[in-house]
Amino acid sequence: MICPFCSLLCDANNLNEIHCDRRTASIAKYELRKRLSMEMPQSQIDSESLLTAIEASMVSALVQRFGEKCHVAVSIARDGSGISASVDGQILLETEVGRLCAPMAKQEITKALEAKEIDSQRWLQSANESLRRAKRILVTGRVSSVATARSAVAFAARFNATLDFAEFGNVFKNVLAMQRVGMNSVSLAEARDRTDQFIVIGDDTILQTVPRMPIALSSGESRGQTVLLLGDFSMASHAAWRNAGFDVWSVKCDLKSVPSALAQWSKWSDDLQSDSPNSKSLVSPLFQRMANADYTTILWCAENLRIEQADLWVERILQWIASRNEKTRCAALPWSSFDGTFLQVCTWLTGFPGRVSFRNGEPKYDPLRYSYECWLKQTQGSSDPESVVVLVDETIAANSFLTPLARKLLGNNVVIEMTGSSAQFPTSIAGLETTADMFRADQTVLARVSPCSMQKGIAKPASYWLEGLAP
Amino acid sequence: MTTRIHGAICIDGVAESGIRDVVFDGETVCQVPANGCRFDAEYYLPNHIVVAGGIDLHTHIGGGKVNIARMLLPDLVRSQPFQSVLVESRPNWLNPLSSPVPGTWETGRRYLEMGYTACFEPAVLPANARQAHAEMADTPWLDTGGYLLLGNDRLLMEWIRDGVPQQQINDYVGWMVRAHQCCAVKVVNAGGIDAFKFNQRHLSIDDQHVHYGITPRKILQTLSLAVESLCLAHPLHVHCSNLGLAGNIAATMATIDAVEGRRLHLTHAQYHCYGIDGPHGYSSAAKQLADRVNTDTSLSIDVGQVQFGQTVTLSGDTMHQFANRSLARPRKAIFQDLECQAGCGVLPFRYRQDQYVHGLLWTIGIELFLRVEDPLRVFLTTDHPNGAPFTSYPHLIRLLMDYDFRMSVFSRLHPDVRKSSSLPLLKREYSIEEIIKMTRLGPARALGLRNRGSLENGRLADIVVYEQSSNPEEMFSRPRMVFRRGRLVYRDGIFLSDAAKSTIVASIDVDSQMDSHLKELWHHRYGYSTEMIEVQTDELRSKMRMVEWTHLDKR
Repeated sequence: MICPFCSLLCDANNLNEIHCDRRTASIAKYELRKRLSMEMPQSQIDSESLLTAIEASMVSALVQRFGEKCHVAVSIARDGSGISASVDGQILLETEVGRLCAPMAKQEITKALEAKEIDSQRWLQSANESLRRAKRILVTGRVSSVATARSAVAFAARFNATLDFAEFGNVFKNVLAMQRVGMNSVSLAEARDRTDQFIVIGDDTILQTVPRMPIALSSGESRGQTVLLLGDFSMASHAAWRNAGFDVWSVKCDLKSVPSALAQWSKWSDDLQSDSPNSKSLVSPLFQRMANADYTTILWCAENLRIEQADLWVERILQWIASRNEKTRCAALPWSSFDGTFLQVCTWLTGFPGRVSFRNGEPKYDPLRYSYECWLKQTQGSSDPESVVVLVDETIAANSFLTPLARKLLGNNVVIEMTGSSAQFPTSIAGLETTADMFRADQTVLARVSPCSMQKGIAKPASYWLEGLAP
Repeated sequence: MTTRIHGAICIDGVAESGIRDVVFDGETVCQVPANGCRFDAEYYLPNHIVVAGGIDLHTHIGGGKVNIARMLLPDLVRSQPFQSVLVESRPNWLNPLSSPVPGTWETGRRYLEMGYTACFEPAVLPANARQAHAEMADTPWLDTGGYLLLGNDRLLMEWIRDGVPQQQINDYVGWMVRAHQCCAVKVVNAGGIDAFKFNQRHLSIDDQHVHYGITPRKILQTLSLAVESLCLAHPLHVHCSNLGLAGNIAATMATIDAVEGRRLHLTHAQYHCYGIDGPHGYSSAAKQLADRVNTDTSLSIDVGQVQFGQTVTLSGDTMHQFANRSLARPRKAIFQDLECQAGCGVLPFRYRQDQYVHGLLWTIGIELFLRVEDPLRVFLTTDHPNGAPFTSYPHLIRLLMDYDFRMSVFSRLHPDVRKSSSLPLLKREYSIEEIIKMTRLGPARALGLRNRGSLENGRLADIVVYEQSSNPEEMFSRPRMVFRRGRLVYRDGIFLSDAAKSTIVASIDVDSQMDSHLKELWHHRYGYSTEMIEVQTDELRSKMRMVEWTHLDKR
């Protein structure tokens, strides 16, 4: 499977085999969905899980009705005393907080919940009406499978919509820099096999995002691979890399200054090569070691680059890497997340990596104008109710796919939601509940990821819903 | 449904050209029935020619580097139509491609508009074979296939270094081709891509890889033996060492010798036959290569013709693409080291007719076409998009068929090219039959596509009708009709319907021991299991997609 948290390829057979800090919140939300769907009312759900669901405000539940399973929307209120779902006044599912989640008594949930049966055809019809009336449509969210990415592009073309799946602009930091100056890059397995020196730029959040990265990059041989951590890394990060077999060096520095630091190091390195007077005494053993590296790989996670105008920062790093290759070998390993799959599919279908508008029937690319944030800003404050946002999320990630800014800007726009927690169009998690073709986050390997048998769900993939919408 | 086309001249390179009926029943061409038979559709087309669908055996239409090139160059994209616009009133053949590397839909559409019905991606990196197939699946109207990129994969090189039995290599190659659902094997700069990862900047045919100590010659020998042993229909497809370097003809001839008489296909041969003579130490060695091809029937080539204008070069040959980095226009390039298997280099490039070397490349390509006598062993390609976009094929056909037109372009080249080239002495003008052989029958035979390439009974009814014209460029730019599997899908600039398409893969029996052996090795090398990257046959099938198998007919 592709780890649904960090998009590395790994061979874990189920979620419990994946150990990472990021796992907790995501699995809590996911497990809650599963329990509501399959096991209510007998299951025990811990307070953290339920609160996650409450935060999501809506979950979809599966209930038994007339011998058939059907989806109902379940609202969970903070003050709910129990959870029940009824359709046409008939109670289908009822439980008390105490039974549902024993430790929840402290949360003072007191009120029963309401639920509505979902008629997917009716919802599709209603969504189609909204889309037909709409003058502006945005498709956004988080897509991780080729099938949904294809459907999303086709949907945008059908509805002359704007398309931006690059969540938080993560991948676009790299794409914009690459489009200006090109790139020397390396894939994961190549870096693991060939690199003798890694330079990891960022902070501890890299290992929260990609907890298995040190293991994935370690050749597992006593090759003396070195890692230089540049930025703000704690001892925990040092230990993680060391435990994976790396010789760890660390330099604490402001991320913004990293390009300058690298340039300075190049100068020292050149001095060292030229054997200029005193050069050997001026440079530290670390720099000597770096200068002697055969193959250096620079790694950063776009998601964790909290630098203003990060694309310019990436551009300077890429230029530095290009200059290193004049004499030795050096490459970038810019780690993205799930965005890579959409980026690739959109590129081969439209010629552009996303941030595309089909306004006049043909794809137009503008990485600034057609970002979802820009689109939302343009529609904010408008009294025109004919702007529709189609939100698609087929990932397990716990955090909301909209930045606080975007959430605020959603305003009065009509929102058609296709996510795991949506009531109208509940979607499966790609690669976990349904088979999906997904790119590893270095965008080299397109793997077919089959669902773990334990996690097979019954919700339909987002592509199914997107294909059901037509003008 | 039975269809009859009559009144038109049939040309397929097998039967004698002449006016006769072409009849197809359902998906295949059938014998002309006796008089009185009723047809579901009849087309009387005097002053037209009827030919089989075109086959491009070397065109970069899918996979990692193609998509990277698209991603790198949004600034080169002009206004483009999208698939929601199925019916076009505007004659699209007058427009250039929206980009040197257009999206999949435009690629399929523009190929069909020229009368091509099958295209082959020649460099499928094992790690992203699924991506290449996914892109080709999204390329409508065309049957597709891919050649698997081997010869720089570390596992293979380690085994060659360690002297493992040839049978083990054969099993490995067979497993790889089957697992990645390809129909042939391609080698790009044998060992050179990997050597560059070890900072080796040059590797000719008998140089040693700095890390593995093996030579490209040894890799070529080993792989050509494997291809022969596996009975792959298409011979080893080779991109030689020393791409683009002055004097590289020596390495090219040594490459031919390296395979010791086994079948061999040299790809984009134009880039591999340069001498060191002439005013700038860079000259044509086309005659040397063409003479060899003319005398050695185990050889075939595609040319990789250059045309003037903006394009983008993309190749697995990172070593030589990197060496050319300063020539990138616009000034940006991408180089990738990939997955212990290969790499890629993407460089935007502008061929200028007033530039000596660019003009020379143009003449060398044309020379090769004109000097190789058998049109069944020289194929019309531009190595899209490396030499030029595939939409320049009609122009290229005119260059080959019309001496005066050729000379009119030649007269605009750099004076030193005009002074040194022998092109004016080559008065050969291709006949239309030769063009049809070169673009249909020849590629079909080279790829083992026994149901394509001609109008014989039992062949697939992929049929193209062109209106005769004194200007071959105009004629081959716009067919009147294109039938795919007996169904009229395009007529007079209008796309009438979608078409079923096939993925062509090699039929190979895989040794089960190799399967388990590789499962273990793969995990150690790549960190994931073979199951994740194996492309299952079912993945290649859908409502409109089928799978066809090829293998060498030993008869």
